[in-house]
Amino acid sequence: MKAEYVNSFYKATKDVFKLMVGIDPQKKDLRVIEDMVSSKDASVVLGVTGDLKGTILFGFPKDMTLEMIRIMSGMEMDRIDSFASSALGEVANIISGNAMTLLAENNYACDIVPPQIFIGQYKSFTMASERALQLILTTPIGEFDINISLKERQV
Amino acid sequence: MMWKDKYSIGIELIDEQHKELFKRVSDFLQTVESKDSWEDKLEKVKETMSFMQEYVIVHFDDEEAYQAQIGYPEIENHKIAHHKFKEGINDYVKIFEKEGFNEEKIQEFGGKLMAWLIMHVGKMDQMIGEYAKSKGGEA
Repeated sequence: MKAEYVNSFYKATKDVFKLMVGIDPQKKDLRVIEDMVSSKDASVVLGVTGDLKGTILFGFPKDMTLEMIRIMSGMEMDRIDSFASSALGEVANIISGNAMTLLAENNYACDIVPPQIFIGQYKSFTMASERALQLILTTPIGEFDINISLKERQV
Repeated sequence: MMWKDKYSIGIELIDEQHKELFKRVSDFLQTVESKDSWEDKLEKVKETMSFMQEYVIVHFDDEEAYQAQIGYPEIENHKIAHHKFKEGINDYVKIFEKEGFNEEKIQEFGGKLMAWLIMHVGKMDQMIGEYAKSKGGEA
């Protein structure tokens, strides 16, 4: 897996976070993981199709999710309901859409499949023994991760 | 309150309409998320849905007319974004017509509407303001 895949998501995440929640996430770690497992309270999973194929998994802790919703909506919430999970899913969807635009500039034409959101379910999204890269990001409101498993289409 | 001053683009007519949109969406979300009974919320939900359908079209038309007036070079891309936004709303209108209004779907719609609005006004519309400024302030 190439660095530009990760860089596209990193840049898109920073741009969208700055715009939507006024926060600039910083890279804390990047590592190879064997299994793509949601270990955070809220997980957003998106499929990628086209020149690159695979799965993207965003993992957010509960407190951070609720703080993001508070910044965007002005409302204090104590649980991740359908409104909060839908908004979070849409933020991840917008980030991924922007990452696809950046990848297109590197001549990868890809589309994303609409997100699925899982709250409080710790499950595995690993596809057929593919390794993934995990990008860990820190913000003043919490730490989250983006797990990227992408493969170039066989020509 | 959803509105933030950083969303202003410096063109009065458009900023006023944006503030109205944000206020309506904000009120709508507060209703949807309130502890009131679903029956009590339903009236407000229906009212907001019809308001959004009408006002979004009025606002997008006004905004596109302004873009044409100042010769905004990105107008065609912006029209595509407006079209997608309206489609996103219409998809939910269709769901509600078919399945009726249910609380979970309304919450789901509210989450997306909020994200779309912030993203559209916070990013795409800012570029109209920047262009207008580069041409010498309010046209």
